Amino acid sequence: MTIAFFLVLTIAGALGAAAAAAFGAPPSAFAGGIALAFIGFAGAAGAAASALHARDDLSEPRTAHGPTHPPPLPDDARVARPRFLRLWFAAAGAFAVLGLVPLISLARKPGRAGRTGWGAGVRLVDENNTPIPHDRLVAGGIETVFPQGAVGLPEAPAVLIRGDDGGYRAYSKVCTHAGCPVALYRHASHQLICPCHQSIFDVDDGAKNVSGPAPRPLPALALGVDAAGFLIARGDFDGPVGPDDWDRVV
Amino acid sequence: MIVRRTATWLDERFGTNTFLHAALAKIYPDHWSFYLGEFALYFFMVLVGTGIWLTFAFDASAQGAYPSVLALADRSHPIGYVIRQVHHWAAVCFVAAILVHMGRIFFSGAFRKPRELNWMIGVCMLMLASFTGFTGYSLPNDGLSGTGLRIAYSVALSIPLIGRWAAGVFVGGDDFPAPLLTTHLYTLHVYYLPVTIGVLLALHLFFVVYQKHTQFVRDPKRVVGRRFWPDYALRTVAALGATLAVLALMATFFEINPVGDYGPYRPWIVMNGAVPDWYAAFLEGALRLGPRTEFVIAGHPIPPVFWPGLVLPTLTFLFLLAWPFIEVRVTGDRAAHDVLQRPSAVPLRVAVGAALIFEGLLLTIAAGDDQTAATLHVPLDTLVWIYRVALLAGPFAVGLLAARIAVEVHVRTPDDGPPRPDAVVLVRNAAGGYVEEEVQAG
Repeated sequence: MTIAFFLVLTIAGALGAAAAAAFGAPPSAFAGGIALAFIGFAGAAGAAASALHARDDLSEPRTAHGPTHPPPLPDDARVARPRFLRLWFAAAGAFAVLGLVPLISLARKPGRAGRTGWGAGVRLVDENNTPIPHDRLVAGGIETVFPQGAVGLPEAPAVLIRGDDGGYRAYSKVCTHAGCPVALYRHASHQLICPCHQSIFDVDDGAKNVSGPAPRPLPALALGVDAAGFLIARGDFDGPVGPDDWDRVV
Repeated sequence: MIVRRTATWLDERFGTNTFLHAALAKIYPDHWSFYLGEFALYFFMVLVGTGIWLTFAFDASAQGAYPSVLALADRSHPIGYVIRQVHHWAAVCFVAAILVHMGRIFFSGAFRKPRELNWMIGVCMLMLASFTGFTGYSLPNDGLSGTGLRIAYSVALSIPLIGRWAAGVFVGGDDFPAPLLTTHLYTLHVYYLPVTIGVLLALHLFFVVYQKHTQFVRDPKRVVGRRFWPDYALRTVAALGATLAVLALMATFFEINPVGDYGPYRPWIVMNGAVPDWYAAFLEGALRLGPRTEFVIAGHPIPPVFWPGLVLPTLTFLFLLAWPFIEVRVTGDRAAHDVLQRPSAVPLRVAVGAALIFEGLLLTIAAGDDQTAATLHVPLDTLVWIYRVALLAGPFAVGLLAARIAVEVHVRTPDDGPPRPDAVVLVRNAAGGYVEEEVQAG
């Protein structure tokens, strides 16, 4: 009787879910029907299991394995083995070396472009590629900037901050720890903070890494103003962008 | 009727009935904790089923991935919404079920000879499941997972000698994000990783059947339990139904990974308070607690993310893989065991297990250190140092405490191994010397 009840529940749930999907009901009706169907299914199986005569004392023997010793090979089958064993292994090793070739060819060194897009005279733009006039930010203001024509280039983004003294500072937005965007600015203490692993950089002191796991300061961008009054870079970043690697020789 | 006719049809061609009768009558030991691994199996089945459906709805290109997942994440597409929800919930539950199952195997000593190889296969599947989860979580190319991938790229880049090569192969280009990244993740997520898990899973189950299941009943010569059919089969089918029902309920009531709220990945944007899926959080915590020192060898830097991001998980993986052999080294017990132990029977194992759990929990909690610091009004630096000290000193304290508790508990519930004496009595012998005699009460 219980089993029948649960099985009817299963049928109702499954067909209900199908109907809910057919008539465009919200996802909760569809998923709820599925849940009902499986609750019924589990209930039926559980009820059937508990209706069984309890037999949990059945047993069968265990078989222990090994060690077994196979009979020695016939003499003619033994000939090749001991004599050339090392050469067989050497041949296998040679294939392993050969196998490295396609593996290595999958990527060529350096495998890291490192192009920032910044250079002397390049205008600063926002993410809509709009140049930034020298009076765009108020003191304490912050903006993510790119080199004109290279919005979205992975190593290009920089944070532009206007200090309380009215002067601009710009640093790479790529954290030197694990490459996250250094997106938080705490105005009260003039610190840039990486939200991924809480590395903290002192904006007034060349974005020095004052706390957290970042090993280096953020590279800085020297700024100027062009004849039309827009902010420009006076060169590339003063150091390599993002985390180091083995081949970035320091 | 139809079942019987099919069986007969097969039997007349392959002689299957002999095998079938033996398989259905096979005895399996019964204990609630033996079902934990089955939940992992069922989560995997759900993942394959929903995953196949999702491959037809997902656009595996760098530009198309996010919009195609967004369409599924929208409640106006009820079936897609539910299937994606169930898939993601099943993924996080899959890793959890594997870990809990592994804890049972570990603390009951089920990994001992002759089952060391199956333990190692299980550890490999845990790692593969985490990788599969991470690649799937990263597929939508949303703002949250993109940042996680950027960190993974930096970790790959940090490997000495081959960092650029490894990172370049991973993302398929010279920069992050490279155009081929989504394609690579997709191939890994729907093909290499799940197929490998499937093969290992088949081996894992075959070994369980072939070597016969361990048991708590203290009879090393016989398997004591229930028949597969109908006793055990009905129970496990009930467990399957319950698993699916719970997943459907979670999909109904709890929204997971709402990628629509995160926006597409843009390398210069990050969310505050971003954390990965729970099984990857311990790595995030390790990165937060890790050192800032960058070693330089002959001009070649070793970035600080190398130690917490790669060395730590690799060593943990190798330690787990080697545990059956380490334990044999320590205890000298080289015998085969089919009878399980109460956890308290081996205080050393309890100590090691508790220390590992402590480290995992601590690193996972450390992944939210910024939010903890803000909530408790503790300076972040102070919190990081507390965590660092706990990370290094904690395992010893926790391990000793756990071992002590195991010893205490074990006195009251004697189990396998020689029982501890209730008293030791000094007896004077005929030669006038004294010998110790162990006395049992009663």
